[in-house]
Amino acid sequence: MKKVIEVKKLKKIYGKRSTAFTALKNIDLAIEAGESVAIVGKSGSGKSTLMHLLALLDRPTEGSIEIDGVDSTKLKNRELNHLRNQNFGFVFQQFFMNPQDTVLQNVMLPLKIAGVKRKERKQLAEKALRTVGLSNRMKFKANNLSGGQKQRVCIARAIVNNPQILFADEPTGNLDSTTGEKVIKLLFDLNKKKHVTLIIVTHDEDLAKLCDRQIRISDGRIVNGGSKKSTKTSKSPATNTKATAKGDK
Amino acid sequence: MAFFDMIRTANHNLFRNKVRTLLTIIAIFVGSFTIILNVAINTGVDSFIDEQTASLGGDNFIMLMPPGSAEMASGMTTSSGPVEFVEKKTGETEIGAFSDQDIETLKNIDGIDADSFYSPTPFNGTGYFTSDKTDKKYEIQTMMILPPGNFQIPLAVGELVDQTEAAKQKKQIVLEPGYPQALGYEKDEDIIGKTITVNFKNEITGEWSKINVEVAGVEANSIVSSSMGAIMSRAFYDELSDVYYDGYPEDYKDKIPKYYIMATYDTSRFSEDEIKQIITDAGYEAWTVSDMMGMIRTFFDAIMIVFTIFGGIALLAAAIGIVNTLLMSVEERTREIGLDKALGMSSGRVFSEFAIEAISLGFWGSSCGVIIAMIVGSLVNTAVHAPGGFLEALQTFNLFEFTVGNILPFMLVIMLIAFLAGTIPAWKAARKNPIDALRYE
Repeated sequence: MKKVIEVKKLKKIYGKRSTAFTALKNIDLAIEAGESVAIVGKSGSGKSTLMHLLALLDRPTEGSIEIDGVDSTKLKNRELNHLRNQNFGFVFQQFFMNPQDTVLQNVMLPLKIAGVKRKERKQLAEKALRTVGLSNRMKFKANNLSGGQKQRVCIARAIVNNPQILFADEPTGNLDSTTGEKVIKLLFDLNKKKHVTLIIVTHDEDLAKLCDRQIRISDGRIVNGGSKKSTKTSKSPATNTKATAKGDK
Repeated sequence: MAFFDMIRTANHNLFRNKVRTLLTIIAIFVGSFTIILNVAINTGVDSFIDEQTASLGGDNFIMLMPPGSAEMASGMTTSSGPVEFVEKKTGETEIGAFSDQDIETLKNIDGIDADSFYSPTPFNGTGYFTSDKTDKKYEIQTMMILPPGNFQIPLAVGELVDQTEAAKQKKQIVLEPGYPQALGYEKDEDIIGKTITVNFKNEITGEWSKINVEVAGVEANSIVSSSMGAIMSRAFYDELSDVYYDGYPEDYKDKIPKYYIMATYDTSRFSEDEIKQIITDAGYEAWTVSDMMGMIRTFFDAIMIVFTIFGGIALLAAAIGIVNTLLMSVEERTREIGLDKALGMSSGRVFSEFAIEAISLGFWGSSCGVIIAMIVGSLVNTAVHAPGGFLEALQTFNLFEFTVGNILPFMLVIMLIAFLAGTIPAWKAARKNPIDALRYE
């Protein structure tokens, strides 16, 4: 399988000199197309930082991130924006919707940013809403939906541009277990049927187990699961858990 | 994102907080309303003055007068105190009129263009108008013949007397305002093409004569040309002067005061003050365009400066309002901006969206200003021209004049000010980091 993400010697330092804090230390990582991967770790372990870097929302201090063989650290901001818009989908714990807009308008947002024409935008958004089973809620104000529905709208928004990779940051964190299961089923259906690469950041072990592979982060290092092979060989839990209590910056 | 989409989105976002947006628009409206009314008055006064100047023949025009007559003609001063006795160059006390002898002297003054001399020859003798509609007789005050050149006397109805070669035989007259009604016609247009009778007395022989003339038009009220009197066609004048000046002694004929002199001068050689001095030194008086228009201009200029300052202060306050409104909006929409940026919107686009919001505020504010100003302006225009209004006598003077040329640049300036005010919040929004923005509570 081809690698969609390959990370080499990734390092992220926040702040300068005396106040410097190393959030990630020498991360090596590869994710193949169509995989489902969970990034797990305690609060402050660096898992969110890793996801932000993988999703190209932030730039690393050192190292490289190759997306489809292209070194993203060498890209200009404009190219990064384009890459995120075209290849990535995002699902967040807090949904992040524009509450006063309709469901349809929320789903169309990535296409609007991409400059897709209105008519086509609407068609694609309707298709995405059908996939998540919310075509009857198109004209609703986003604010008037239940939590589970909101998250499904966010999934529709994340897949409307047919992304290669779907990033989900604690997708069930704000949902009760029943609605959470529905959302999880939806995400894995997309992974299996549409071969979207799924990257889930979570501290929910049950959710993590559903993924093909778990990447465990502790104290800014990958403890386990950095590449596909290593998952099979070393299943032992992390031993050197000298976790810092500095908070997940 | 397409440009049109951005405008749509910006306006959509603006009106999410309707009250705040409307208050900001009202602030811009107040400033722009004040200034656009000013601009409109300025245009109105300018075009009126241009029209008046054109009716005199241009701004290098100068009107020559025998000594002592400038003040009387201007009508601006009521008393000038004791005036030293000066023997008039003409034998009679006819105000503003020259004889053939005077003209020879005037032509030798360096500075005045001798070839430009035109004499709208007046008739100031004893006489009256009659018509078959009424038994009353109306005194003839002044009648003149138009000088050659591009004269534009504002008319209420009809046409200026036809001065083409072919029409030279037509005896025509353009009456001053009010005469049609006096002569028994209800409306100005009713008298056009009708014949009235001009009765006049030869001062030497005491004999009365009459000439029938056709009415070609009626003058509009104006500030300067009302003193010029009725306008005669060449054929009418020729017939009248043949009879009128018959009987004067041969040696006096060149001293008869029968001309008004208007001339032009080289504006590149002399200022208005210089040419006036030259003419004064020669023993005559002169009245320039500035003398005629100066008072009106000074009056309106003073008003306009005051109002422009008020409008400018209001606009400054409005600009601060724009900054405030958009800064609040940026804070409120921090998460939304974060999401937009995470989904691939560039900083430039974020900046543009807020900048377009600012420009839209300017657009809506100034549009309201322009529309309301146009309504108010036309109401005032109607009111001042209505009977009893202060411009009743000057129907061609539109106090407020709105044109694309004065509205459009003004709106663009307001939108530019709004844009400049919007750059601060827009810059703040554009430099937000998507991760921090998404975390913002």
